[in-house]
This record gives sequence, C-alpha cells and structure tokens, in this order.
Amino acid sequence: MRELAYYEAKFEALEEIMAADERVHLINGTFLSLSPYRHVYQNLKNKYGDRMISPPISELGFCGLATGAAMAGLRPVVDLSTGSFIYEAWPQVANEAANAFSMSGGQTRVPVVFHLFHGLRGGGAAQHSGSPQAMLWNCPGLEIAIPSSPRDVKGLLKTAVASDNPTIFVDHTRLLDMRGEIPDNDKPIPFGVADVKRKGSDVTLIATSYTVQVSLQAAAKLAKENIDVEVVDPRTLVPFDLATILTSIEKTHRVVIADETHQSCGVAAEIAARIAESGFDKLKTRIRRVSTLDVPVPYSPPLEAHIGPSESRIIDAVRAAVA
Amino acid sequence: MPTKKENPRELIDLLRRMWLIRAFEEKASALYAERQIVGLLHLGIGQEAVAVGACSLLRNDDYVFGGHRSHGHAIAKGADINKLMSEIAGRATGYCGGKGGSMHIVAKETGFITATGVVGGTIPLALGAAFAAKEKKQRQVAVVFFGDGAGQAGPFHESLNIASLWRLPVIFVCENNGYAEFTPLSAHTKIERLAQHAKTYGIPASTIDGNDLFAVRDAMRNAVEECRSGKGPIFVECLTHRMRGHYEGDPAKYRELSQLAEWKKKDPIARVVRVLKSKKALTDKQLAAIESEARGLVEKAAEFALSSPWPAANEVDRQVTA
Amino acid sequence: MFVIRHFEENLVSLHDKGVFGGHYHLYVGQEGTGVPAISCLRSDDYLFTTHRNHGHLLARGAEPKKLFAEILGRADGLNKGKGGSFHSVAPSLGFLHSSGVVAGIIPLSTGTAYASKAQKNGRITVCLFGDGSLEEGAAPEAFNLASLLKLPVLFLCENNGKYGAGRAAAAAQSSSMAAYPLTDLPKAYKIPAQQIDGMDAGLVHATISEAVTKIRAGEGPQFIEAQTVRYPGSETNWPTVPQPTDTSLAWDVSSVPEKAREWYRSCDPLLIYIRELAENEQASRDEIAGIERQVKGEIAAAVEFAVNSPYPKPEEAEKDFFA
Repeated sequence: MRELAYYEAKFEALEEIMAADERVHLINGTFLSLSPYRHVYQNLKNKYGDRMISPPISELGFCGLATGAAMAGLRPVVDLSTGSFIYEAWPQVANEAANAFSMSGGQTRVPVVFHLFHGLRGGGAAQHSGSPQAMLWNCPGLEIAIPSSPRDVKGLLKTAVASDNPTIFVDHTRLLDMRGEIPDNDKPIPFGVADVKRKGSDVTLIATSYTVQVSLQAAAKLAKENIDVEVVDPRTLVPFDLATILTSIEKTHRVVIADETHQSCGVAAEIAARIAESGFDKLKTRIRRVSTLDVPVPYSPPLEAHIGPSESRIIDAVRAAVA
Repeated sequence: MPTKKENPRELIDLLRRMWLIRAFEEKASALYAERQIVGLLHLGIGQEAVAVGACSLLRNDDYVFGGHRSHGHAIAKGADINKLMSEIAGRATGYCGGKGGSMHIVAKETGFITATGVVGGTIPLALGAAFAAKEKKQRQVAVVFFGDGAGQAGPFHESLNIASLWRLPVIFVCENNGYAEFTPLSAHTKIERLAQHAKTYGIPASTIDGNDLFAVRDAMRNAVEECRSGKGPIFVECLTHRMRGHYEGDPAKYRELSQLAEWKKKDPIARVVRVLKSKKALTDKQLAAIESEARGLVEKAAEFALSSPWPAANEVDRQVTA
Repeated sequence: MFVIRHFEENLVSLHDKGVFGGHYHLYVGQEGTGVPAISCLRSDDYLFTTHRNHGHLLARGAEPKKLFAEILGRADGLNKGKGGSFHSVAPSLGFLHSSGVVAGIIPLSTGTAYASKAQKNGRITVCLFGDGSLEEGAAPEAFNLASLLKLPVLFLCENNGKYGAGRAAAAAQSSSMAAYPLTDLPKAYKIPAQQIDGMDAGLVHATISEAVTKIRAGEGPQFIEAQTVRYPGSETNWPTVPQPTDTSLAWDVSSVPEKAREWYRSCDPLLIYIRELAENEQASRDEIAGIERQVKGEIAAAVEFAVNSPYPKPEEAEKDFFA
C-alpha cells in the first residue's frame, strides 16, 4: 500500500493511460484544475505533447471534435474544466455522443471521455458551481463515473478511457488535496461496483464525490453518539450498483442520501426512487435526501455554505433516521 | 490626440473616473490577498480607457452588458462603488445581496444590466436588449463588452449574424488584450483582429488603440450616433492589455516581462495626464488630488463593505423566482 | 443519379400511402453535386451528412433496399430501424453518423479529420451540409478549429437556396445569413473557399477532385459552396413531386405542370447531364432510357424488399445503447 494525494493518483493515471495507448489524446488540460498542481501536468506535456491540444474557448466545437475523433478510432479525453461549461457543449454531448451508438443500430462506437469539475467550490457563484451529472443521467447512452478517493480516481479513470461508451468523468476540486491509500498493484476499477467506504450497522448513508468525504467526517462524529453509519459510495451512476445498496439496507433498514446536485430530479432523487421500488419493505423509516437546495448557487460564502449538503445537515438527517 | 470636441473640464472628469476604477481594482486586489474577498476575481487594471471612453458617451437608459472582468464597466456606467465593493465581498448590502459576486454584477439603475461568468455569455443577451430598444423606439442602444477569447465562441458569431440581419442597435466592444485566460490569441485562432469577423457579417468595424481614451471616445461617438439613427450594429475592437493576471492568483508566467514593460509605457491614465498637462489643464498638485480622492472614496467603500453584515441564511430562498 | 432520383420519388409515394411516417427530406435536384463529389473519394475516407442524406448514402454505394428498409423502420434497415431517415449510417462506407440537428455534424467532422491526421492514415473527411448550417455557432467554431489545426477536411456546402427564374436572380442564398457570399465565412478563417455551380456535374467533379488532392497532400481544410435550385415540391412541409422523372423530360417538358416546367428545363442536374451525354454523343437517347429502365426495376425490387421486411421486435429498443 502507498499513500498518495488525490491529484498525484490522478496524474499517475493520466501518465499510465498515455503511455499504454497511443490512441488516447487529451483535449484541453485542466485535469489537475487551475491549481498549484498545474506544474505536474506540465511533465505530461513534455512527454506526450503531440497528443495533447489546447483548444480555443469553443466547448461546442471541441467536444464535437472529440466525439468525431472517437468515432474515427481515437480515444480522446476532453476536459471541460468547470462543469457548468458542459452546457455550452450540450448538443454534442447529449444529442450526438449519447445517441450515436444506438441510432446507428450498434455500428458506431464513441469511446470519448468528457471530464469536468462539478460542485460548490467556494465563491464560484451560479455559473461556476454546476453539477450537471443529474441531467446527464437522464441522457441514455452516457456512462457516468464519479470518484471520491485517490484509489477511485485512478481506477475509474482507467476504466473510463478503456470503455467504448461515451463517459462523463465527474470530478471535484475539493478532492484534489486529500490523501489516501492505493494498493501496490492497483488495477482499473470496473464500472457498476459500489464501494462501502465505512462499515456500519445503524444507517446506510449513500454519498457521491466530495460529499463522500464530508459523510465520512459526519460518520466519525456520529460514532461518538453511538450511531454507527455505513457509508456507501456508488462510484458510478451509470452503470449503477443497486445491489450493494440493498444489501446494506437489509442490515440497517435506514437510508440517507447525500449529494451535491440540486434536489429536484437530482442524483439523490433517482437513487431514492430505485430504493423505494426495490427495497421498500426493508425500510423502517422514510428515505431522507440531503441535496443542494433548489436555488441558483449564491456567491456569498455563508449563503453558499447554507445550501450545500453540509456535514451538519447530514448529521441532522442521520439522527432523524435513527430517532 | 483628442479632437477639438474634448474640453479640459470634461477630460478631468473622465480622468477622475479612470482613477476611481484603478483605485477600486487595486483595493479589491489587496482585499483578495487578505482573503476578505473569495472566489474568482478578474481585474481590469490597464483597461480603464475602454470602460470610461465607451460608457461616457452613453445615456443612462442605454444598456450595458459585461463579462467576468467588468468592475470597470459598471463603475464607468455610474455604479455605486459602495454597493459594488459590498457585492464583491459577498455582503448583504451588495448590489445583488451578495448572491452574484464579482462576475455577476447588476447595477440596474445605471443601465448596467448584467455581467456573466461565461465567456461571451452576454453577447446574445445584448442582442435582446437591442431588439427591445428597437421596439421601444426611444433611440436606446445596447453595448456589450467582451474579450478576444469570446471571438472563437459560437454564440459570438450567431449574434453578429442576427444583429446584422435585423439591424439591431448594438455596439460590440471587443477588448482585445491578447490573452484568452492564459493563452495568447494566436494559439486560439489564425485571425489577428476580431473586427474581421464583424466585417464578414456586413457590420461596420474598426480596430483602435484601446489605451487611448480619445480614440475610444471618437470611435464610440460615431458608433452611438450610427446606432441611434437606426443604421444597425457597429463593432469596435480596442487593443489593450490587462496589467494583472487573468485572475488574482494567476502569476501570468505565460507573459513575457518585456511585454508588460511595453504596455506600462502605454498606460491609459498616464496618457490622459500627459495630454492634459500639455494643454496646461492639469497641475501635479491637481493630479495628486485626483488620485487621493479616488483612493479615499475606495477606502470608504471598502470600510462600508467590510462592516456590512453577511446575508442571512434564509436569503437563499428569496428571489429564486419572481 | 437515376438511382437517387427514383429512390426519392418512390419514397414520396410510400409516404403518401402511409407506409412510413415522420419527416424526411429529398435530395431531388442536388444529384449533380453529391454523385460526382463522392466519386472523388477513397473508399476509406469519412463522410458526414445531415437530414438530407439519402442521396449521399446512395451515391457512396449504400444498397437502396437497406436504405428503404431503414426509412420504413424495418429490421433489415441500415441501422436495424433505430435511426430512420435522419440518422441512417453505413460505417463500412465511411458514414459513421448522421445528425438531424442542423450543423450537428460539422464539429464531428473536425474530429474524424483530427483522428486521421493523428493516425497518419491518409484519410480525409468530407462534411456535407446545407447553407442553413452556417447560421449555427457550431460552424464557425469548427472552421476555426479546422484552420488552426490544419485538419484534412473538405467542407462541402450544398446551397440549395438559389431561387430560379422569376425570382431575384442575384440573391443566391437564404435570407437568414448576413454574410454574403457564404464563402466569406470560411475565408474569415483563412480556409480557401470557392463557389461553384452545383448543377454542373463535370465542374463539380473537377473542382472537388482538385480540392481532395490538396487536402490529402496536407494543405489543410477546404470549403466549396455548390449552388443548386430547390426543386418544385420541396417548399411544402412534406415533400411532393410534381412529375415522376423520366428520361424523356430532358427533351419534352410538356407533361410537367406549368409552374414546375422551368425547373425541369433549366435546373434539374439529372436532365442537364442527360442532355450533355446525348449532345456529346457519349450515349444515345435509347441507351440512356435503357439505363433508366434498369434502375427503375432495381428500385422497384428494393421497395418490395423493404415493404416486406419485418419490423424489429419491441425488445430491441432496450438493446444496443451501450457497447
């Protein structure tokens, strides 16, 4: 086992991916965000510069380019940077990439990865804090991966690139600094396999992305109140591992879902619906969601802190579930 | 050099306004360094001539739209710097109650309709305002400020086409400062002058020295007149430079220091001062007073902002829908 | 060209009989562009087309019976019935994707061009679209990318907005584009651009041939605007055909309804070509009529095949959306 920072694990993944497959091209390049880590990315450029391009501010154009290149046999990974910018490229992602394989009756494959940073970032305001994954979950034909730890980001990014389907890779800038363990011979993580990040017996707390880390902190605090929380991380929304969640609920009978997409038609809403459909009889109390409130993300720090799935809101929900 | 139309008294007012913007931006930078302002902060130091030159020729009821680097545009259009500083600091007394922040300024009473964090995002919006203005028949115009980075975005082209087809009273003001975020324009397109795109769609266009207040005023004077008389859109490309990085915290290593030095010589404020001095319309003492007055007002604005309360948590539920 | 013309005309009667529903768009009147243009390509070049794709697919060699079947939504269709008219593809012929969204394919074409360049396989991409596509922001974004990255792509704009005799002759485009001539748009990006008469098959062939050679030699993108006149019957919401085409119309239009006669006399590329062949004694009128008879027979058989092809099973809807 090695301990790495999340951004180090992500960079390792990019390096290994670029080394292993010549068909992988990187389009746009804020995979390590606009952070102090950008120098790390420069190392990649020194080695593989001919497979890395820096396009103009034309999300529609370059996401279309990435999609077309994938149709022609490359495996591009295109970085949209701030998740909200995918709205500029929406027609190419949702209407072309997502539909191509199906519309062609299975003939045209689109092995493209759309990478983005979602969520509340601290002062991003309404147009830089979007979490588009819920809307994208509603576009059949797209796979969605959403890591929450160094081990996950490395393993999932590899699978995303290897997949023949258009994949949305949903990352979060608040994860970049965290540290975690990676096994020595780490392997790609298959899609559709959830991860129990913390074993517990009283409540099943399902969370995604950065909210997983917030949930783990909440669980540590709740442990002092003798509430034993099991934290389950789906890791991919499409394909989605419901079985692991149902197994957890069999044990705990109580569910809280915490996620950063807005409440209405959000990720938590869909997970709740699936649990209600398949695991209703296992529940002893209603399902509780802790989502970002249904308001455009406000700029001011106390307002932004108020609307997200914070540790205190998660704790309140868990307490209510066991009361 | 100014045309005969500029009179010294007016010029001194313009200088005051340019200094107000400069002082404001420098203070915002200091507050950001102290973490009194969070998030993303994009400053327009060095681009004051465009903001002031353009907005000084507009009526209060003309519409102005900006982008992520729009503090200067708002101030030039007459925004209250107390409310502006508060907004950037996220306080309840800000223009948007702290909800918008630096990139989403709205100062409706001055005609500054909105800024946006999406590159080129307000260009289509400006078309809409121009469309409404045309319907209202009160000879209003809409002005939209954007950078060279927006020139490669689809909506920019769609907007040029529509504005031209429908002869909308919109003035496209492109601040070509040579960099789109951290990349020089040449890496984004083979086109050197965005005015070329306007000409493709049949829109009269010019490229001028954006650091020359008088050149900007001349171009805008003409543009406003043409627009108001219903002749259709105009495109003015202002060559300029931002003296800071793309945003606060950007060390701008992609920029040669020599380039920075070159542009310092072309500082827009210094150039206006030179002209005024050559006309013997400004003494050093007066100049010092202008600077200190600007800084004084900005200090007061900062005090106002930092002593203002944060918005209450339940504010999030208000103003989501009308 | 006969194949395309008779295919399209048969489609109209199939639609009018209710054999299939939904919107569809005919290539009648544009055969003089598509056929010679596509004949200039290598078998492994990529092509992208739009909702007006039947002519392109047939010109490239798609089997009429399979295209009929696809438009009729049958299991033997090119896309197993999943794409329909707008989305018919034939990857083996180089058509990876067709989009029903105006300009949807333009960014994609920069992608396959990018891939070919990276893979150094000498392939080029032809992007076939209409004059309306230039109004979409996706087009200039794609032109900029193609120009910046010197991509091997031919942008072939089929401007069928030219109105024929009786209308203002000068304005050869739709009224929704301020730029005129249309070639100004690609030229703004330093892409070499030409305007040609799309009804002159020989000229189209020579021009495209030259452009393709330049692109394959690595000179970067090219733009060609081929002008044609919309056929009478295309203005309605649902296509109609004023008169079933027959070789004899090349010499006698008296059977055509009066207001459509001028088009058949001067603007029908198929008839123009027939007259040329006869005048240059490259083929006799009888030979030409003989070819047409043969084609009519083939098309009739193709219609039979399609009409008798089964519908796909409903469960097929749930298959083939992930690779």
